[in-house]
Amino acid sequence: MAGKKNKSNHKNASALNGRKSDVDVDDRLQAIILTDSYETKFMPLTATKPRCLLPLANVPLIEYTLEFLAKSGVDEVYLICSSHASQIDEYIANSKWNLPWSPFKVSTVMSPEARSVGDVMRDLDNRGTITGDFVLISGDVVTNVDFSKMFEFHKKMRSKDKDHISTMCLSRANQFHRTRSLEPACFVLDKDTSRCIYYEDLPTVGSNKKSCLDIDPELLENVDDFVLRNDLIDCRIDICTPHVPPIFQENFDYQTLRSDFVKGVISSDLLGKHIYAYITDEYAVRVESWQTYDTISQDFIGRWCYPLVLDSNMQEDQTYSYDSRHIYKEKDVVLAQSCKIGRNTAIGSGTKIGEATVIENCIIGRNCQIGENIKLSNSFIWDNSVINNNCTIEHSIIATGSEIGQNVTINDGCIIGFDVIIDSDMNIPKGTKISSTPVKYISGGLFDSNLSEDDESDYSDKIEDTEAIKATGLVGYNGVGFVYESDVSDDEDDMSETLKLSNTLAYQMEELCLSDESISSRTKRVKKKRTMSTNSMYTDFEGNDSEEEEEDFEKEGFATIERAIENNHDLDTAMLELNTLRMSMDVTYHEVRTVTVLAILQRVYHFIATQTLGAKEAVQKVFGQWGLLFKRQTFDTEEYIDLMNILLDKVVDQHFEKPDLVLFGALNSLYDNDVLEEDVIYKWWDEVSDDPRYEEAKRLTARWIEWLKTADEESSSEDEDDD
Amino acid sequence: MSSLNLAALNSSTTSASEINVIIDSFIAKLKRRQIQGSYAIALETLQLLKRFISAARWSHVNELISQIRHLANRLEKAQPTAFSCGNVIRRILAILRDEIEEDNNESSASNDPQNATSSSSSTAEPLISSMFNLLQKPEQNLNNSQTKKYKTKTDFRQVAIQGIKDLIDEITNIDEGIQQIAIDLIHDHEILLTPTPDSKTVLKFLIAARERGNRTFTVLVTEGFPTNTSNAHQFAKTLAQHDIETIIIPDSAVFALMSRVGKVIIGARAVFINGGSISSTAGVSSVCECANEFKTPVFAVAGLYKLSPLYPFDQEKFVEFGGSQQILPKTSHNNGTMRLDTINPITDYIPPENINIYITNIGGFNPSFIYRIAWDNYKQVDVQLE
Repeated sequence: MAGKKNKSNHKNASALNGRKSDVDVDDRLQAIILTDSYETKFMPLTATKPRCLLPLANVPLIEYTLEFLAKSGVDEVYLICSSHASQIDEYIANSKWNLPWSPFKVSTVMSPEARSVGDVMRDLDNRGTITGDFVLISGDVVTNVDFSKMFEFHKKMRSKDKDHISTMCLSRANQFHRTRSLEPACFVLDKDTSRCIYYEDLPTVGSNKKSCLDIDPELLENVDDFVLRNDLIDCRIDICTPHVPPIFQENFDYQTLRSDFVKGVISSDLLGKHIYAYITDEYAVRVESWQTYDTISQDFIGRWCYPLVLDSNMQEDQTYSYDSRHIYKEKDVVLAQSCKIGRNTAIGSGTKIGEATVIENCIIGRNCQIGENIKLSNSFIWDNSVINNNCTIEHSIIATGSEIGQNVTINDGCIIGFDVIIDSDMNIPKGTKISSTPVKYISGGLFDSNLSEDDESDYSDKIEDTEAIKATGLVGYNGVGFVYESDVSDDEDDMSETLKLSNTLAYQMEELCLSDESISSRTKRVKKKRTMSTNSMYTDFEGNDSEEEEEDFEKEGFATIERAIENNHDLDTAMLELNTLRMSMDVTYHEVRTVTVLAILQRVYHFIATQTLGAKEAVQKVFGQWGLLFKRQTFDTEEYIDLMNILLDKVVDQHFEKPDLVLFGALNSLYDNDVLEEDVIYKWWDEVSDDPRYEEAKRLTARWIEWLKTADEESSSEDEDDD
Repeated sequence: MSSLNLAALNSSTTSASEINVIIDSFIAKLKRRQIQGSYAIALETLQLLKRFISAARWSHVNELISQIRHLANRLEKAQPTAFSCGNVIRRILAILRDEIEEDNNESSASNDPQNATSSSSSTAEPLISSMFNLLQKPEQNLNNSQTKKYKTKTDFRQVAIQGIKDLIDEITNIDEGIQQIAIDLIHDHEILLTPTPDSKTVLKFLIAARERGNRTFTVLVTEGFPTNTSNAHQFAKTLAQHDIETIIIPDSAVFALMSRVGKVIIGARAVFINGGSISSTAGVSSVCECANEFKTPVFAVAGLYKLSPLYPFDQEKFVEFGGSQQILPKTSHNNGTMRLDTINPITDYIPPENINIYITNIGGFNPSFIYRIAWDNYKQVDVQLE
């Protein structure tokens, strides 16, 4: 067997050495690992180290994914690196996967400008890496799924259904399971074939929204029985056909894998492609937040992922052995005679544990110095940490190289970053996140690359200028550490305590997660926050405006249109009301347009926030119907340009999650309904394209206009040909 | 096409670097538990060893032995509970050492004046001399190899590979030998109990008794929850298809039924030098304890390759633990604050006093006699490979 494997390895190697023959290419199974999640859930630790290299049970996270792929018989692995790409590249180059006996060929693909899964897929399509069916997997999966069964399912469905383009792996869980995704989703599946008919993100406890599914009846045609399920953990293991990257290319507004791609593909009649779900009972989860990190570590130690266990010593230099009650010890662990090692504990080699120390449910890395009379429970101590005598640490993470002084108490849910030093006799309150360099959340950017570099360069100045930032109150005078304020607590003073804690390790959240209605997620909370900021924006607006009449018109006009939309009046009625109002208050059409844009965007926002529609659909729906109002408010080129300026302004002011998408959708739908003319759009674009204020909002629009221009050129050139 | 040719070329000329690739991928497979069962592991280990020996380079046979020992040590570390892997390599080592001894005897008999001094010492105490060679420092080895090179006439590569071939033959034909004995041991209208439904040897043993001996008997099969339940069902089905009356009983019913059982037949995964054994199902130990209580004879069925020269000092280290998901569904709420542990041992240690007889392919033996057979097949120096 070994010989055979080797032969195929050589075959691949030689094929890659330039002599690419098509025969070889077709039966190779490729895997794409997304090492970046494009989220900031593991801040502040991800400021210095990528998420996939953070240790879970003393093994870097990426190893679990690679191990799964090695078992699956994948031939080629591509790691897509965005943030901290050089670190990942270096790690892989020095790992066992790069040695000649590695079961697959591994290569890293630098994609520093990618900001979402969609960008990665477009990049892949441009590079032409994909040659056949491939596995798309995120770099933080811990699983023991039998891949061959899943692949068989994929092939079976593919032979039955020619339009099948992707198979998702979903793992069943009951409502009390802690690893249930924090991004709850509902899958509507065909009962017989488990084809995914519809996908919808569910709202969470924080949003206080009713969960309702709006399924287009057309989707249910030809379906006999269907099931609605929200008990599935989405572990982000997908088998995709080569058709998938081009779909991302065509729909350049697709960002996320599930809420954009899956939802978009299956609800699109034009594409006519199908996505299937492979449902398994095996262990398959993603380390996507601190809570899942905690749960998965405990599950892994508790042998829930067998045969993937710590004592199989996957890493070359590991020497773990197993004792009953789930205690794993490496070689050269020094335990004092009176220390107590409780259940579910792993201790790395070179670690010394002092007298009378009590440890339970902990994972301790290599070369840690744990002093005397310390209480450690439910915590994660990474390599080379020093914990001095008489400390109490409860349910926290102590990252590599940190030092904790004597008599320190660290409470539930704290995260002590790399190389933080905490002075003696300190008490760290619940849910604190401390890092050794100041890390600030940059609002608007969901992306943490380059952040560390920026901070590093600023660091020297900062430490002199702004000594006040240093959290002396927490780390003491001899300590080193800065409090990391997450975006949530930064922006929202009135945010409830539970929500603040939701992205920490702390236990409250787990209790919150128990019921179906209360599964919370960060992305959803962001949306809630935006509702608030929208409201406050209106108050600001009213306050700023000095002219009483205008202010009144603002209110009245807004209410009029809102009423019209809500009660579904016809356009004429709405316009009549608005006109009356305009004349009675004696305001210009400019004000009318402003009000209309505001009301329509508010409506769009409402749809997105309540999760009834995705951003794109919402914009299309509302602008498609009510955009016609502008036809009777705008009469010449100047006014059209004014309208688009208002639109751009308001879209940016409204703080949409994806301003570019909303703006593009709005303009596109107005163009489709013949409200806007091409020439007007170009003229407007020439005026604003250089304006740096709206850079983010204009990204997609820029591409759209480019497209418009090329389409225009093509048609005109065709005309010429005809002549 | 060119790549295929290249692959073929590679497989024919096994270079030293390539053998490393093979070894490391084999170790990775052991770690991932992609090879299951002691039978498969033993055969694959022997195939690997064959390639290793054909690719190995050495100036003196002791170098070969130390290379093999190093390999065996790495394989044992990869999966410490896969005993058959170390067993077969130790068997080959023993064959080599026997050959060296014989060779030394011959060369001293041939009365070569050049080597009279060195060979005379080795003939005086052959066993000790080979141990001395083993402990010699490499530079001394090099010196000796110069003188011994033309002394050794035997082709050790040939000897080792022949030994491997014989061992593969032995392992693949193991059931033959055991089945011969089966007929004499099982009587008509007897009730048998087997708590190891995953053992192919037990299955073949029972079928041989039915078909060759034409005995009619009843077999009770324990359910083996949770790891072996599906195996137990399959096992019972196969027996029933061979016209053997089969009853599946829950693990908890063993004590109640033991008074009616004539013989307990267990399969062994490894047999240690003290006569104790590791069985591949948890709960076998309590079945044997129970049989001991009722003075029901316990027969352990095992091929010779399962015999290990190790002594079970730390039994807990020899027992393997499986996944928790087999006990509780993974969906259960497993909160960190909850004091719930699930422990799933998948193998079991049976002490020698609870086993009455071992049935191997070379005959039946009392547990207290196992050590003799072990030293017939292994050398004491190879017990510890580090």
